[in-house]
Amino acid sequence: MDEFANRQFPIREDMRFQRRAWIVERGGWAVLVLIALVGLSGAFGNGPLSWQRASAGSLSVEYERFQRITRLSRFTFDVSTRAAPEVRLHLSNAFQENFEISNIQPQPARSAVGPDGIDLSFTRQGASAGRIVIWAHSRRYGTSDITARLGNEAPASLSVFVYP
Amino acid sequence: MDSVIKAVVVYFVLWAILRVSGRRTLGEMTAFDFVLFLIIGGSTQRAITGQDYSLINALLLVATFVTLDIGLSILELKWPASRPILNSMPMILVENGYLMTERMRRARITEDNILEAARRLHGLECLEQIKFAILEATGEITIVPAVQAGRVEATVAERA
Repeated sequence: MDEFANRQFPIREDMRFQRRAWIVERGGWAVLVLIALVGLSGAFGNGPLSWQRASAGSLSVEYERFQRITRLSRFTFDVSTRAAPEVRLHLSNAFQENFEISNIQPQPARSAVGPDGIDLSFTRQGASAGRIVIWAHSRRYGTSDITARLGNEAPASLSVFVYP
Repeated sequence: MDSVIKAVVVYFVLWAILRVSGRRTLGEMTAFDFVLFLIIGGSTQRAITGQDYSLINALLLVATFVTLDIGLSILELKWPASRPILNSMPMILVENGYLMTERMRRARITEDNILEAARRLHGLECLEQIKFAILEATGEITIVPAVQAGRVEATVAERA
């Protein structure tokens, strides 16, 4: 009995189509497994592939390379300079336009808007190295190229891709 | 605008995933499958509504989903060749009491599944009493019982 021959009764079969459908089905399973593995790797955000560090001058930024829209994400700014009593962090327009800040720790003493982005000023206690954490939701999908700098130092470039 | 696009994407992605998951999942639904489907619904629902709980958004989504559904049913009607692609095809699993094991293996159906359908639908006890067991496009197993000479006479006698 040839199992893969078409029967005409009581239903009309198309085993050639059926076999192709099975192949597509197996391919689909592979895609599903792949999606789960890529998800674990962090390529869809929140994982080893996504964790990124950028630094310039005395500023070092930890952030997520891949983010998802409306999901809260953390930007950690480590300031290693101990010179000035005040730390001024500048974030470019792209950050202001594409992200909604939900929390800044510590709270800035002053914040100001300039033509090329926002300036956040923090007062420093003693001569400690500082860490500033900004929690923000991404509001727009696509790539955002953000620059962050301390005072007049060279800027660090952050490239963030936001999934829809 | 994005509500409509999201609805279209979700519709086709869900369709593709369910199509690829095979007929077993759709037809023979266990209590756990049911819970799983609720979770699938819940997770996609948040992605499409986002933070927009407005009436207009709900209206747009419902209109898009129903339009797509109607559109596909019209497509099936006008172009019958699309039917197996959209809904899969029926296939015989048991022929005159013989199991087609290779087909069953690929469709992930066991002998127990077939016997269960035979008991449930016709009160049959063994494979020999099955003329055809068919895996329908909907994922259900239907049974055509073998007509036994004695039984036909009995039913005729009952009617008379």
